[in-house]
Amino acid sequence: MNMPEHAPQTDPGPLLSVRNVRKTYKLGRVSVPVLYGVDLDVARGEWVAILGASGSGKSTLLHLCGGLDRPDKAKGDTPRAHITFDGRDLTSLPGSQLDRFRSRDVGFVFQFYHLLPELTVLENVTVGAMVRTGRIGWHRERGAATARAKELLEAFGLGHRLRHRSAELSGGERQRVAIARALINEPTLLLADEPTGNLDRETGGAILDVLADLRERHGLTVLMVTHDAAVAERADRVISIVDGEIGAPSAPTLTGG
Amino acid sequence: MYQALLTRKYLTSKIMPLLAMVAVMLSVATVLVTWSIMGGFLKVLLESGRPMVGDAVIHWPIAGFAHYDDLIERLEANDRIEAAAPMTESLGLVRLPTGQIRVVTIKGVEPDAFRRVTGFEDTIWWRPLNTPTRKDHDRDDPRLGDHPSMQFYYDNALTMTRPDPTTGDSDPAAIIGIELSGLLERTAAGIYVPQTTLRARPDGEIAVESIFMPRNGEIGLTLLALDHEGIPIDSISRRLPVANEFQSGVYEVDSGTVLVPLDWLQRQLRMDEAVKVNTKGDDIFGNYEQGPDGVLRPKPLEATGVAPARVTTVLVRGVDDATPDEIKKIIEEEVYPGFAQAHEGVPHELDILVLTWADQNATLIASVRKETGLVLFIFGIVCFTTVFLVLAIFWSMISEKTKDIGILRALGATTAGVAWLWLRYSGAIGVVGSALGLVAGYLIVTNINAIHEWLGETFGLVVWDARVYYFVEIPREMEWHKALIVGIAGVVTCLFGAALPAWRAARMRPVQALRFE
Ligand SMILES: Nc1ncnc2c1ncn2[C@@H]1O[C@H](COP(=O)(O)OP(=O)(O)O)[C@@H](O)[C@H]1O
Ligand SMILES: [Mg+2]
Repeated sequence: MNMPEHAPQTDPGPLLSVRNVRKTYKLGRVSVPVLYGVDLDVARGEWVAILGASGSGKSTLLHLCGGLDRPDKAKGDTPRAHITFDGRDLTSLPGSQLDRFRSRDVGFVFQFYHLLPELTVLENVTVGAMVRTGRIGWHRERGAATARAKELLEAFGLGHRLRHRSAELSGGERQRVAIARALINEPTLLLADEPTGNLDRETGGAILDVLADLRERHGLTVLMVTHDAAVAERADRVISIVDGEIGAPSAPTLTGG
Repeated sequence: MYQALLTRKYLTSKIMPLLAMVAVMLSVATVLVTWSIMGGFLKVLLESGRPMVGDAVIHWPIAGFAHYDDLIERLEANDRIEAAAPMTESLGLVRLPTGQIRVVTIKGVEPDAFRRVTGFEDTIWWRPLNTPTRKDHDRDDPRLGDHPSMQFYYDNALTMTRPDPTTGDSDPAAIIGIELSGLLERTAAGIYVPQTTLRARPDGEIAVESIFMPRNGEIGLTLLALDHEGIPIDSISRRLPVANEFQSGVYEVDSGTVLVPLDWLQRQLRMDEAVKVNTKGDDIFGNYEQGPDGVLRPKPLEATGVAPARVTTVLVRGVDDATPDEIKKIIEEEVYPGFAQAHEGVPHELDILVLTWADQNATLIASVRKETGLVLFIFGIVCFTTVFLVLAIFWSMISEKTKDIGILRALGATTAGVAWLWLRYSGAIGVVGSALGLVAGYLIVTNINAIHEWLGETFGLVVWDARVYYFVEIPREMEWHKALIVGIAGVVTCLFGAALPAWRAARMRPVQALRFE
């Protein structure tokens, strides 16, 4: 495993690098261009917030970074898009390696939690480990993965709700389960799509505290999307996305920690 | 591993998979029951031959062939052949005590030899009985109890005679199929109870008669005698007492066969031993000679030999592990050619007919085979609906769960992994549904006669009519290889039904799946 060591001194380049990314959705015959050529670098251990209005393409960009979708192919005079993670170009990875990337290197927190309704809180977290290990690996790692899941859930204040279904949880609790799931495989990069979007300010603040703590203690790299400038302020760096392009660093760059 | 977890969770938290399971179960049970019964029917049909005619018959219809004693000796000398018996078969008319006239097959047999080749002894109906038959819970069977007459009837059957009540002489007697006389009523328990009959007499009176064939019944037989070239010489009508009745279980046989003593039938048909005379060298007006008294009279015919008795058929039974086809081959290749060479005037080895039961009933068996195929085909189409039902159920289930698929894919699950999740899920439904279907099918097949009876009593529904289906009971045997095939087909159906939606869902990009509504 090429786990990057968190050593900013011997900078081996940005962990995530996005170049010329375009994304056009096709709705029947109509093409809806969303991203017009995005460039973005995220350094190791950095917490970057992407700020933008609703519908500006933030989620789209995050999905592309997480390998959940592919950018437009080069066409005519548009240059080829590149999304490089730790030296690997996701846009040219075959599907199976992209699956592997999603399961090992990146953790994704969705705007709408996206928990599996039939599973308990604990199972929702361990399912990420099941997907990674496969059938045979799971028998070996089951104990460790379950212990880690419990540990994460306990740290997020959900230790007493392990056997509950997600339907029985509040929004803040669900989001914390989703974060725990994203972290179960110890990813290098956490992609969080409006993790506080549906929460009240206080609950949202608690979630952000969790993220800050994770970055602090484990050197996790965080790329977070938000439409709330106040939330963006917690990050090291804020980029805004306007009309499908990265705007000038409109918000002041804040040094976190 | 997540596949196992989610399969379990999906199966236990939704009503849909239950519906799919029931659909699979019903289809599996339907096909299995149909196939088992039709297949059982065919099997019983094939197996009913041995008790009636042994493994194979050597047949030379109409004229018959001579020297059959020698043929039987040669047959029985073969160590694959257990026994052989002569028989003469002829069509005839029977006049029943009820006044009805029917066309029947008349078979002349030697009771002892016939018993050795066929299961004749077991088919004799009127005999002493100690325990009631399976369904005869009320002990209505007249054969039960210590009635001495039953032993008498049974003994008469074994000798094919019935003592004349006035003279005490043993007269040759017939054994008729149990469904022939029309004087017996078959009860739901499968036993026969004698009925009193009303008969219109020529003088306008109605006569109440209680005729019990083995006691006082008689039949009139009308036969056609043929010479050794098959040319009709004479039609003969004879009355014959009835010694007993037999039940083979094959309706056609039981309603259309009369067994008579072989020598009696040979005599009637002029197939018995006869003196041959020389008619050659006659002048066209005949040969005459002057007697000592000077009167011209026809010259007595010169006896040139004896024309031996003839039979139309020799029945052959192989040893227990011999197949009918093996016996047929032995007769055709090892026994008959030697016999044909040793005697003049017997059919050539290339002409003689050697037939197994299946050969004799080839048309019927082929039509039953076709019918089975047709019924299965129709039910197969009906069950094809199940494929679509399962497809519809899976389509809606997988659509409903597309977001779960998106989540799993976002967590790194592969296309194959997700497809496997659904195949596993549908496979589980298929296995459980098929297993339940097999159990249901088994219970129905093994209790089919009770179910059929119940349907008849409750709704007046009689599907299985012995007149149409040859056998008085519905075959109720299940073959495991059929169950296996049907069960596997049930599982495959489910996998098939799930394959398309699973494939469609699994190949979506994670984002597409997550946004899917
Ligand atoms: N899969 C899709 N198909 C079609 N249109 C899409 C799809 N995903 C997003 N869009 C459209 O692209 C635009 C950007 O969406 P999104 O990236 O979700 O914005 P944001 O997250 O900034 O609110 C929106 O107009 C949305 O309707
Ligand atoms: Mg969004």
